[in-house]
Amino acid sequence: MDQLVNPFVLYGAIALGGVGVALALPRRGGSPQVLGALLAALGGVGVLALLGGAASDAGEALPSVYFYLFGAIALAAALRVITHKRPVYAALYFILTILSSAGLYLILSAEFMAFALVIVYAGAILITYLFVIMLATQAPVGGDTSVLAEYDRAAREPVWAAAAGFVLLAGLTTLLFSGARTLAPTGNPASLDLAALPGTIETALREDDLIGAGDKVVIEDDRAAIEYGAVQVERADGTVEEVELPADAAVSNTQSLAYDFLHNHPATIEIAGVILLMAMLGATVLSRRQVILEEEAKQAQMRALGGAG
Amino acid sequence: MTLATAAFGSVTLAHYLFVASALFTIGLVGFLTRRNLIIMFLCTELMFQGAGLALIAFSRFHANYTGQTFVVFVITVAAAEAALALALVVLLFRRRESLSAEEWRELRG
Amino acid sequence: MIELHGIAETALSAAALASDAGTIETVTGPWWTILIPLLPLARVVLCMFCAIAGVKTKLPAWLSVGCIGASFVLTVLAYAMFADGAGEITKGWTWIDFGWGDSPGQHITGNFSVLIDNLTLVWMLFVTGLGALIGLYASEYMEHDLGLGYCRFFAAFCLFVFSMACLVMGDNLIMLFMGWEGVGLCSYLLIGYFYKKPSAVAAAKKAFIVNRIGDLGLLIGIFLTFTHFGTLEYRELFAEGGKLAHYVALVKAGHAGEVPLVVQLIPVLLMVGAFGKSAQLPLYVWLPDAMEGPTPVSALIHAATMVTAGVYLVARFFPLFSCSAWALPAVAWVGALTALLSATIGMAQFDIKRIMAYSTVSQLGYMFCGLAVLTPAGGVFHVVTHAFFKASLFLCCGAVMHGFAGQLDLRRVSGLMRMKGWMIVSLAMLVGCLNLSGFPFTSGYFSKDMILAESFVTPGMAPIGWILLFTAGLTAYYTFRVWFRVFVGPVEYEPGEEYHDDEHHADGHDDEHADHGFHPHAPGWAINTVLATLMVASLLAVGLNFVDRSRGGWVGHMLDDSTAAPIGAAAFVAEHGAHAAEHAEAAGEAAHHGSFLGMNPHAVMFYVSAVFGLVGIGAAFWLHYVGRRTAATAKADALLPAMGPVARWAQHKWYVDELYDFVLVKPLWVIGHVFYLLDRLLVDGLVNLAGFVPRWTGRTLRPSQSGELHGYAAQMALGIAFVMIVVVVLLGAAS
Repeated sequence: MDQLVNPFVLYGAIALGGVGVALALPRRGGSPQVLGALLAALGGVGVLALLGGAASDAGEALPSVYFYLFGAIALAAALRVITHKRPVYAALYFILTILSSAGLYLILSAEFMAFALVIVYAGAILITYLFVIMLATQAPVGGDTSVLAEYDRAAREPVWAAAAGFVLLAGLTTLLFSGARTLAPTGNPASLDLAALPGTIETALREDDLIGAGDKVVIEDDRAAIEYGAVQVERADGTVEEVELPADAAVSNTQSLAYDFLHNHPATIEIAGVILLMAMLGATVLSRRQVILEEEAKQAQMRALGGAG
Repeated sequence: MTLATAAFGSVTLAHYLFVASALFTIGLVGFLTRRNLIIMFLCTELMFQGAGLALIAFSRFHANYTGQTFVVFVITVAAAEAALALALVVLLFRRRESLSAEEWRELRG
Repeated sequence: MIELHGIAETALSAAALASDAGTIETVTGPWWTILIPLLPLARVVLCMFCAIAGVKTKLPAWLSVGCIGASFVLTVLAYAMFADGAGEITKGWTWIDFGWGDSPGQHITGNFSVLIDNLTLVWMLFVTGLGALIGLYASEYMEHDLGLGYCRFFAAFCLFVFSMACLVMGDNLIMLFMGWEGVGLCSYLLIGYFYKKPSAVAAAKKAFIVNRIGDLGLLIGIFLTFTHFGTLEYRELFAEGGKLAHYVALVKAGHAGEVPLVVQLIPVLLMVGAFGKSAQLPLYVWLPDAMEGPTPVSALIHAATMVTAGVYLVARFFPLFSCSAWALPAVAWVGALTALLSATIGMAQFDIKRIMAYSTVSQLGYMFCGLAVLTPAGGVFHVVTHAFFKASLFLCCGAVMHGFAGQLDLRRVSGLMRMKGWMIVSLAMLVGCLNLSGFPFTSGYFSKDMILAESFVTPGMAPIGWILLFTAGLTAYYTFRVWFRVFVGPVEYEPGEEYHDDEHHADGHDDEHADHGFHPHAPGWAINTVLATLMVASLLAVGLNFVDRSRGGWVGHMLDDSTAAPIGAAAFVAEHGAHAAEHAEAAGEAAHHGSFLGMNPHAVMFYVSAVFGLVGIGAAFWLHYVGRRTAATAKADALLPAMGPVARWAQHKWYVDELYDFVLVKPLWVIGHVFYLLDRLLVDGLVNLAGFVPRWTGRTLRPSQSGELHGYAAQMALGIAFVMIVVVVLLGAAS
């Protein structure tokens, strides 16, 4: 098997990352979180460097420095999400992760998805999370608002969890190297054949005043006839002539995505709508439920939690 | 740009997939470790992020839009699930006055 | 006397001349002969119904007597209609009949059919006759147990008669074996009738187990018979042209050595079975203990019928026994030694039923000796006479027991003849004792004499004869010891152990015992009738000796046409190098006859045995009657210190039971415990392990179901990681 990188070094770096994460998780008393974070960072950088060193030069280069930038921020923020003791900060770091992910999407020419991510995820879901965190905060024990709840203070079995997770990562990475060979991007990025969108061509031509109101693009087999950068247009009087395509007659990502949706997966939008409707109904039903806890039960529960804490 | 490219080498699919896997793994570790219910759900969202990134990367590198379509769905479902999950977490909190996942262990064998 | 001698001689030679000696021909018999065994079997079913219906009268007894009596009538009819010369076979139904090949040794047949020949008739006459009489006796004897116990008793009783009939009348070895086991079972059931008494239960178990040991020999003998002769039916075994006839011819011609070893071994094995059932050395220990059963049981089973099954076996297979060089001498020696041993034990016992039991063992030894010294007529005649007089002796003991609330110790009861209502019992006892001791001109005298005489005639059996003579004297002594102690002398009695039980029973006898005095309960009409009948029959049996004297009496005449006819020679005789038969017919007095002190045994034995018998009676008279003032003491007591430890050992039955216990029972008990431990540890251990493993697995895996979300999540993650690694490895290996 032709290996991209030396697997032992790869696994070593991953192990290093795992150790770092395990150390970084919160503990009772003093915890070497910073040290852990540094180690994790070291591990991550090591892997990325390996990958970078092994990358072939074939194919068109994608903007690489932005990839490293956004990737690093995403990973660091994700690490901070899981290691921070206070829930609100975790949620805020998560927002940072989302923003970095959006950046990565941009590099990958998925503009629509990038901003959809920010709007929906960071704008709606995370705000909901923050609301619930505020709502569901346990009343402070003994009046000291700075004391964290027990369950936030210490992580559970950090070593085993880190081990499990990073074994999984090692497996995944190995699969990367055995199955997913270096796949360089092919073709024009997000290139939808312009010929499939005659309407867009007409609109672009009209904006540039290249064709009149009654002129149409010649359509053969549901496709516009484009040859060598020129499209055949049928004038109002019936003559067919070639018009050069303007430079800005391109298909944007949103258009392509929408075309793909409606052309290949027509029912999916409907289903998505149904799912959202059901979620809304469910949330409404759930939130109407009244849970009345007796005052003594509440006190007993608090004492139990306080005693355990 | 060219200099930067030459310095770092070109980025391949493997890079993106590694970042996606790492995000997923970090989310998994967090889920296994933290006891706060809300943080646990946040970690599941992290896992969604990793999956989404992998999908977009594949979509780019295979030059079709199937991946992006699917990510639309992923976000939709994530939103619906987050809403319902948080409603349930609020209810659970009201019962036990605590967000600890360890409070709920009645299904033990 | 010379006339008697000559007749006896002629009997022997005539028998030797019989050309078909040792074989039988068969024809099909009348259909009603199959009812003879089946009637008692039907009665068993009726008894069950009686028990279910809760009958509390003596109805089961009358029905049983009726059924057995009907069987007796049918037997007499069969005897009257029987033509000499051929056995008649009546087939009941097909039971076992299959083959797996065509050659002779590959077809096994064991049908439920009866063979009527003279030997069968002799046996069946006294089995059914005595069965009916004793059933009548038991109807009164068992009246204290009316209700379920009564039905149970008579059900087992009729089952016994059925099994005995199967044994004697069956026409193949399988029927014989079935009857053999059946009588063993009924013996167990009836000995253990008082199942609440631990000693009775133990005695029943002992009887069954000791019989079983003998049955093993019998079973192997049957197997060998089948493998060698290829058949189990008497019709084919004893056929004219069969293998057995060939061997008999060889022996008669003096070539006894040519008989194959297997054929010489079969009789030895059958003999072991016979010894078990008929209580000879070393398997006699069950018979004295079997006296724990009710007295009618002792009378019928352990005096007259079951114990003679062994004798029947030897008689039926007499040709086979004659072909074997070891079988008959072994039978003779075992019989003689048993007779002597049990006579000595009987002399020292105080329980009259035990004395009679040991006497039965002793007389059985006589019967086996009779067969072994080549007078089957003498042996079988002794069986017949012994059946009658021993049954009557036992029934008299039973009357004593019934009347004195279980008292059987001869030191505690005395002078019965002078009590009111006991005359018939005393007379019956006297007649029986006279027969047993061989008083001149009683039937017992003649039958014993035939055996004694023949033992001096047959070459090489003279020591047996001397032993038997000495035992005859001992027999007379201990028999009349009982008579002189219990029935004559000062009148004195004590109640037995059941007296106190009776007091606690509220059944209408309270007024008799109100003054705490004990009144003996004289026997009623049923008991007296039966005893009188038996007494008369014993006396009349003398006549049997004089019927057809040329062929050895009525019994000898009957046996001549059956398989028990003497073939005039035997393998062991031939070894002594004598062609006895040929010389016997050549000269009037053969030089190779054995002789008794130089005289012809047939002539003098009458006098000699009479002398021994009278000496014994005289000794008993002197020691136990003369000068006796109380029941408990007699002149014999003065002798005891002089005899020292011998008397004590004799009273303890020469410690044979203790020896068996030490040698056999204890090791088996230990082995049983070892196996029990093995079973507990090994077998149970394995099974428990099979149960333990799942439980342990469950217990170990249970903590994984902790109910905690994180635990489950971790397990899921690990599972995915594991699957992924497996896939990677497999992918790596594949590509």
